[in-house]
Amino acid sequence: MTLKNIIFYADDDTDDLELVQDAFARFTNNVEVVTAKDGVQALSYLQSLNIQTPTPCLIILDINMSILNGRDVLKKIKELPHLSTVPVVLFSTSSSTLDQEFAKKYDAGFVTKPLDVSQMEMITELFIDHCSDEIKRNIRRHLS
Amino acid sequence: MRMYEFQLLSQDDQIAILYQEGIYIGKKKADKTTLLYQLASFYVEITYASYRRVIQNIVYSESTSVLDPYLEQIPIEYLVT
Repeated sequence: MTLKNIIFYADDDTDDLELVQDAFARFTNNVEVVTAKDGVQALSYLQSLNIQTPTPCLIILDINMSILNGRDVLKKIKELPHLSTVPVVLFSTSSSTLDQEFAKKYDAGFVTKPLDVSQMEMITELFIDHCSDEIKRNIRRHLS
Repeated sequence: MRMYEFQLLSQDDQIAILYQEGIYIGKKKADKTTLLYQLASFYVEITYASYRRVIQNIVYSESTSVLDPYLEQIPIEYLVT
């Protein structure tokens, strides 16, 4: 049995959590979306990962979370050696240049949240594009 | 782009342009969720029947008065040195 690729997503908006989970539903054979409802819960989960637990292949962080925002979680993640190679994407309704520059400074991607669910397929592909080549192939394999 | 030109576009095209070029101003959450964007010299307010899934209506305005309910969300710390 092959382990699923874990995509970790933290957002304090339950509508957005559902939207991303639904978007990855078509990859359900080999992707599992693990979620956290705020930055503290996200950081706690990510810090608790060890050699025995599967590491996410991608971390998606909402920027404007009420308890510990995505920028602060990103800074903390970059201090965790076991996550040093895991790609991180900041996900926000705003497409602020300052937030994009912040993401770049911390070697993270930046994706703007959709205005309509019809844009989620394109956004899901943008998320997957941030993964390593091997993971990208693995995730998309079952769709071809 | 002028506001009347934007209004002539299909909803799908309006959404695509707002996604690419719109400046997000803020969000109102009450019974329905509303997002406000600025595009060129006018504003576009999208109200959702179901957030990000079903658009209920889109309102266009060239008046800055539409900003009033969102003023507290507009970051100004970067303007202060």
